[in-house]
Amino acid sequence: MLDSIRPKKSTIYLYLLIPVALFIFTVFFPLVSALVYSFFEWKSGPNKIFNGIANYKQLFADQVFWASFGHNLYLVAACIIGQIGIAFILVLFANSRLAKCQTIHRTFGFFPSTISAVCIGMIWSMVYHNKYGILNWFIINVLGRPEWAKVWLNDTKNIMLYVSIPLIWQYIGYYMVIMFSAIAGIDKSIFESAEIDGATGFQTAVHITLPLIRNTLLVCLTLCIAGNMKAFDNIYTMTAGGPGYSSMVMAMYGYKVSFEQSNLGYGSTISVAIFVLSLAVIGGSQWLVKRATRRMEV
Amino acid sequence: MKKVISLVLVLALFAMSAVAFAATPVAATDLAYKGELVLMHFSTSEESEGNGGSDGFRTTIAAWKEAHPDITLTENVLANAEYKTQVATLAAADNLPDVFLLQGMNTIAWANQNLVMDMTDIIKASPYYDAYNQAYFTPFTTPEGKIYGLPVLTGGTCTIVIYDKAMWAEKGYETFPATWAEVEEAAEKFSAEGIDTIAFGNGGQWQLNSDFVSTLGNRYTGPEWFASLIANTGAKFTDEAFVKCLTETQRLFKDTKIFNADFNAVTNEDAREYFISGDAAAFIGGNWDWSYIWQTLKDGNEEKYNNMGIAVLPQPADAELYPNSQNIGLGYAMAINPKLAEDPDKLAAAIDLCYELTGPAFSSYVAENYALGGLTSAGDVDLSAFDQQTQDFYNWSYVDTDTCEIYDSYLDSSIWSVLNTEMQEMLNGDKDPATVAADTQAAYDAVYNS
Repeated sequence: MLDSIRPKKSTIYLYLLIPVALFIFTVFFPLVSALVYSFFEWKSGPNKIFNGIANYKQLFADQVFWASFGHNLYLVAACIIGQIGIAFILVLFANSRLAKCQTIHRTFGFFPSTISAVCIGMIWSMVYHNKYGILNWFIINVLGRPEWAKVWLNDTKNIMLYVSIPLIWQYIGYYMVIMFSAIAGIDKSIFESAEIDGATGFQTAVHITLPLIRNTLLVCLTLCIAGNMKAFDNIYTMTAGGPGYSSMVMAMYGYKVSFEQSNLGYGSTISVAIFVLSLAVIGGSQWLVKRATRRMEV
Repeated sequence: MKKVISLVLVLALFAMSAVAFAATPVAATDLAYKGELVLMHFSTSEESEGNGGSDGFRTTIAAWKEAHPDITLTENVLANAEYKTQVATLAAADNLPDVFLLQGMNTIAWANQNLVMDMTDIIKASPYYDAYNQAYFTPFTTPEGKIYGLPVLTGGTCTIVIYDKAMWAEKGYETFPATWAEVEEAAEKFSAEGIDTIAFGNGGQWQLNSDFVSTLGNRYTGPEWFASLIANTGAKFTDEAFVKCLTETQRLFKDTKIFNADFNAVTNEDAREYFISGDAAAFIGGNWDWSYIWQTLKDGNEEKYNNMGIAVLPQPADAELYPNSQNIGLGYAMAINPKLAEDPDKLAAAIDLCYELTGPAFSSYVAENYALGGLTSAGDVDLSAFDQQTQDFYNWSYVDTDTCEIYDSYLDSSIWSVLNTEMQEMLNGDKDPATVAADTQAAYDAVYNS
């Protein structure tokens, strides 16, 4: 019976052909091209000179690149805590029996993630603006502490925190929606049993909800890390990586090297490095999470 | 330099009426070529609104098309920022269009890779050669003397001080101070009232180079130093005179009350609004900023418009050269893809297009409609039809000041990327001028001495 409705292999391959071809053309081919180009000196024109692993040697000695990688890790950490963490808490609140208008929470929570990153960057540039921004206005006129007001986006030491906040704000709703759907899939009787057994909200969250949506959290974690390892547009709009290199991230540095410095060979090397480092960070974090949750289960 | 091409906006009445009269028509040269010719440029219709160079360019293109109906001129038009990325990508793929706009800083690198045609003989054979301003060719000339493009659009300054005469007169200055020491004194008075003395925006990182250091550097080093850097004949970014320029720049921004506190976080577009709104008594920017301020004040604040003054950058106490200098030039040139040599008729058409877009048809149009100058002299410009501000700006730009080079019209872009980024840190005090100079020299050596 199954064989009679199962399409022929050739039909399956035909259906797969278009997406696979698109994938190869848009993802695989550029990735392999970047890998090939990373072994060439390729500056300001078509001439490419094979230079072996010279670009990789330069990469290992490039302090700006590694500082940028550090900034990406900062973003990842800030966004895991800020985006997934806050989203989880908000989902628990919104899912509680006391919460009203759950649909409105979902809609408005998700809304910022539909706005283009450039618009978000511009909006927050205005929020942070030294003279006309709402943040300094609030500090000066509401809190009455003018000494706290400053040029936020020129604060080298804390600039990564300031550029992380818009990113966190933008994507909380995105992870909320994913978690809403995961929690909706949990059998309600489990929560009712826990309530009857006298479990507190915190205990329910940690010992029931978290383990049961572990796989969804892993997906969120992967999305969060992948997204922040290639962060570009918000920060480019707000600071363009400045002051100096203090908010530079890897993708922006790759762009700067490739197009501002017309060094496409080294830019390709940076792209390969972003790919490898992202895989390593995602793989490492998944391994850590699985290990930690396994311990909890034991 | 980033915007040397986005030249002077202008004369509301004349621009708005757009009575496009060009005294000199496009020459109807008899061309054998019949077919498509591709031109890539960044004079979008939006940019040409009130922008003399851009408007003149588009008008001359239209006239050339009309004069040559058998040639299909296909225009690939992008905004300036996108144009730079796109043309660099096409160069990397060896897929440049037939005719395009070459940026000065790319000349040597692209010439070395045979991406642009050597136009030395073509330029000498031009029917307009005698009327060319030869100084404009420098960014497109290699150390061997080969020229790779016909400078296009209009020449505009990259460093101009725009100030409110009434605000400065109130503080006891009838004209804008000639020295930074005087500006520092004025800054005490302005800051006491919560007013920024000079507004500046370096959020894009290129502004400090194009609109400040390029001129201030000339006051310390003189033109020979930069000429030596271009020719790679011994000058270094680490030379004492240039480091002194960086040191003074850092001092002015970091240790005085002259500039707005957020100079590193806002762009020139933001900073000029500080001046327009009266939050700052002066502004430093390029000709494109003058145009914007001129237009905005003319439309909305007649009193401030009448008080609008212009000046050169003040002179530092320890600088001894060229106190009346400003950096001016043409940042782009019409260039031809060398592959056109395979088709002599098509090449002849491309050359004719380049001649006309930089020739008397263009120059007379921008001179008569906008009081601007291009590569080809348009003769004596009758300024009487223009308002006083425009007349002053014309004389200041082309007659009354000494000129110097725009740094980033020359040398490889990777060098400026390092200098611009690190100068931003330097202004915050996170990096010292000597280190910035050393890192820039390292980038220079990586390109020219490795």
